[in-house]
Amino acid sequence: MGGVTRDEPYDAIVVGSGITGGWAAKELCEKGLKTLVLERGRHVEHGKDYVTEWLQPWQLPHRGRGEQALYERDYAIQSKNYAFGETTRHFFVNDREHPYITPDGQPFRWIRGYQLGGRSLIWGRLCWRWSDLDFGANLRDGHGVDWPIRYKDLAPWYDHVERFVGVSGERLGLAYLPDGDFLPPWELNCAEHAVKRGIEQAFPGRHMTITRVANLTQAHEGRGPCRARNQCARGCSYGGYFSSLSATLPAAQRTGKLTIVTDAIVHSVIYDERTDRATGVRVIDRNTKQTREYAGRLIFLCASTLGTAQILLNSTTPRFATGLANSSGEVGHNLMDHISKAGANGTVPGLEDKYVYGRRPTGTYIPRFRNLGGSREAKVAFLRGYGIQGGAGRDGWSRGADMPGLGADFKRELREPGPWRISLQGYGECLPRHENHVDLDTQRTDQWGIPLLRVQCAWSDNERAIREDVKTQSAEMLEAAGCKDVETYDHDGPPGFSVHEMGTARMGRDPKTSVLNAHNQTHDVPNLFVTDGACMASTSCVNPSLTYMALTARAVAYAVGEVTRGNL
Amino acid sequence: MTSLPPLPTGPASIDRREALRRAALVLGGVLSAPFAAGVLAGCEARGAPEGSWRPRALTPDQAEVVAAIAEQILPETDTPGARAVGVHRFIDALLAESYSAEQRERFVAGLADLGRAFQTSTPDQQRALLERLDHEAAPFFRTLKELTLVGYYTSEIGATRELHHAPVPGRYDGCVPLAQVGRTWAV
Repeated sequence: MGGVTRDEPYDAIVVGSGITGGWAAKELCEKGLKTLVLERGRHVEHGKDYVTEWLQPWQLPHRGRGEQALYERDYAIQSKNYAFGETTRHFFVNDREHPYITPDGQPFRWIRGYQLGGRSLIWGRLCWRWSDLDFGANLRDGHGVDWPIRYKDLAPWYDHVERFVGVSGERLGLAYLPDGDFLPPWELNCAEHAVKRGIEQAFPGRHMTITRVANLTQAHEGRGPCRARNQCARGCSYGGYFSSLSATLPAAQRTGKLTIVTDAIVHSVIYDERTDRATGVRVIDRNTKQTREYAGRLIFLCASTLGTAQILLNSTTPRFATGLANSSGEVGHNLMDHISKAGANGTVPGLEDKYVYGRRPTGTYIPRFRNLGGSREAKVAFLRGYGIQGGAGRDGWSRGADMPGLGADFKRELREPGPWRISLQGYGECLPRHENHVDLDTQRTDQWGIPLLRVQCAWSDNERAIREDVKTQSAEMLEAAGCKDVETYDHDGPPGFSVHEMGTARMGRDPKTSVLNAHNQTHDVPNLFVTDGACMASTSCVNPSLTYMALTARAVAYAVGEVTRGNL
Repeated sequence: MTSLPPLPTGPASIDRREALRRAALVLGGVLSAPFAAGVLAGCEARGAPEGSWRPRALTPDQAEVVAAIAEQILPETDTPGARAVGVHRFIDALLAESYSAEQRERFVAGLADLGRAFQTSTPDQQRALLERLDHEAAPFFRTLKELTLVGYYTSEIGATRELHHAPVPGRYDGCVPLAQVGRTWAV
């Protein structure tokens, strides 16, 4: 992957190499466009640079406990992410080197991976389609602006990306969680089967299934299968899960049309008032801090929800004094994330003679059951809904720390697994609100001279009400399913922590109230597209990456069509 | 339910007798089991053989107290105990490399308190003392117990001989007879 070809202007420049940048690159290259991908972080080579992949527990210098003082000093935010640890730290940013600003007492946890492949290396891999329950939500209840698209617009693109990604899962036939063409699902374990039976019996209309997940249950497109190690965030040289490095960038590379430049921090998009077009991007070299420019005919911003907002806000011109493509004033606004980190857990009685083999890289899912629009549905005091992730397993040796006992008997007891435990965690929708926003600090910059992002985001009563219902319903379902010692929990969960941040350059029908049109094209600058999470006009309650991917592929098809038609 | 693949082969399933035989060969003679187990453990616990290892965060005395208490928590049975796999070395390394100065000082202070009582006691009194602290879930003892478990069950012997470990399972079966796996999974 050379970085010095001067092949300008490129037919297309893609900013970012994460899950949407990878897709944009693949689709653009496969349509014959000479494409430059710019990544702000370091180069990572699939396989070779997964430096912790083969380390066994005893080969980790701190046995998984990591370097706690270092984490507190340099990774105060990142280290709170579930995937951060001794084996994955190198795929997260150093918070001290990459600061941003939040008001006192109002944290926003911005989890980032600045490297080739971005957060696609460390993502949670759940893949759900949205339905018209989601695309119609803003119009129905008046929060945010109406989506300019509906499920029928995106369905063929969900098909398109799922076919390449390889999504395993169970078909449920639910209109509000549309099926795709799935690879065989992962298995539920014995305890999950028991809880599923109990819940579905006690609550007709509710379902418990295995997640739909980008871990390959069989070989697919020359990748995988997944080997059931459940250590995805270390990187997987089997290509057992979908990432830009395992899948999209290699596909783009095979066309011979791709150039990747790493360590290239995009400072701003260059806009030509005379032609009313973006003409390229201005880049700061991460190492030398020198500025240079790249010219391109199409610009795709795939730099993440906050990263893209920062670039647009920092791209000011006489016409766009508050940021490029910001005639609506909505760039940076309507920031959202899912609520999570609340739910319930309990003990599943019995099944002492049963166990599992292998480490399944995913868990269970209870699809949304609130506000589906059914006439017999219980009325609730909040809008929208939530889904519940979960999973069961037998307690292992670590239970011994809180168990009385010493000596040979104690050791013998831990040689056998403990009781089956199950945990449920809700992921709930967040309403779009103008006041949740990011902007640029006027004084402080990072070490590359780029103004620091200020993030102001807080939950509202609706998210808090969802959170309460998640806890109550999770506990009721576990109790109805015969679980013992059922307890609710509610952990610290500030916005950002679900790592589903969205909304800072939303799609919409009206250029006065939205940044992007139905094709992820900015209303203001025809050859500038945004296809990462910034484009989202609402959040649904399901994990968003699959929708970003489908929107990206759809936007590329539109953009290339416009080029062909002579409109761009 | 589907059938299980064969259990892991190779280093992970070398049985104890075979491991001891290999250790004896390496050392050129017949060794007592506890000593050989210690040698085996030493091979994995950060390289240095027992004789040349020096604690960095703890004094040699304090390291000895940690090793002695860890051994009481997870003693040698039909598999080596906490001392033999070098739990005290892991704890010392964690203190030296991972903990902040403040965390380290708090640990050392807790250890000094416990060590004074422990070292002036007879073996029976030591046992009674630890059982009382365990019963009360005394904070420092609770920490030491947890670190002992981490150090032991993430060691190669702890993970592969005391428990079961499959580095690359290859598949997931959600419901198998416990007897087919036999032991707690290490990971």
